[in-house]
Amino acid sequence: MNQEHWLDRELRDAAPYIDDEGFTVRVLQQLPPPRRRQDLLRAVILLGTAFLASVLTYVVSDGGRFISVTLERLAALPALWVFVLALASGLVMAAAGATAAISRSRASLT
Amino acid sequence: MELTDADLVARVLVDEDQHAFGELVRRHQSSVRGLLRQLTRTDVALADDLAQQAFLRAYKNIRNFRGEARFSTWLYRIAYNCFREDARRRKELVGIDEEQLQTQHDPQAADPGLRHDLMRALNLLPLNERSAILLCCQNGLSHDEAARVLDIPLGTVKTNVLRGREKLKRMLADWGPN
Repeated sequence: MNQEHWLDRELRDAAPYIDDEGFTVRVLQQLPPPRRRQDLLRAVILLGTAFLASVLTYVVSDGGRFISVTLERLAALPALWVFVLALASGLVMAAAGATAAISRSRASLT
Repeated sequence: MELTDADLVARVLVDEDQHAFGELVRRHQSSVRGLLRQLTRTDVALADDLAQQAFLRAYKNIRNFRGEARFSTWLYRIAYNCFREDARRRKELVGIDEEQLQTQHDPQAADPGLRHDLMRALNLLPLNERSAILLCCQNGLSHDEAARVLDIPLGTVKTNVLRGREKLKRMLADWGPN
């Protein structure tokens, strides 16, 4: 038992503290740049484009009159057609969501 | 109050705070570099290259750290994988194998005394026993943590520690208490 303690103590002592000596700086210099700045730029571009497109659509479509026209047309559609449209939209959204989830889980595994 | 490893990891995750990651490197560089120096049989340059590689890999994959184990255990696992991959690559390139490495010149051979004999005895152990001894007896990991780092069953770790310790005791019998 004593011998085991002696061996453990010697093993621990055989691993002295290693001074940093610039190691941390070298590691930090090799880190990739933060993605935050790129993400911010991407968000600004996407939001700006979406805002411009909305303004352009509003101006070109005579103050958004096409929305009320489309809504009137939708209201005039038979109930069966409205159901089919809603179902198709739901399926498309579910497929897009599933695809995004699968690609995300694959990315986290690698 | 000093931040815990978990706090620093959270800062890296949320803010991509590289200063927080730098603090993690500062805290764990000694133990990771020490482990790799022992695994590479005191090849300091190679060990430091592997340690850098391990920390970079840890930064890139920090989202995969779920906090189930200690951060140091997770780091040891990455470091050990870096070592294994490098050893495999070098073996493929130049045909270095364990037996050859065991007979290579030990830079500590000029140092007299118990420390030298202990290092020499450690270097003579097979890799599986040496790794288990280094993690459990030198770095203070539990058998369970060592099993996670080495990705082997718990029973195998216990056996390797036991066998390695017995061999060390035999090789260092002259230094033990009478």
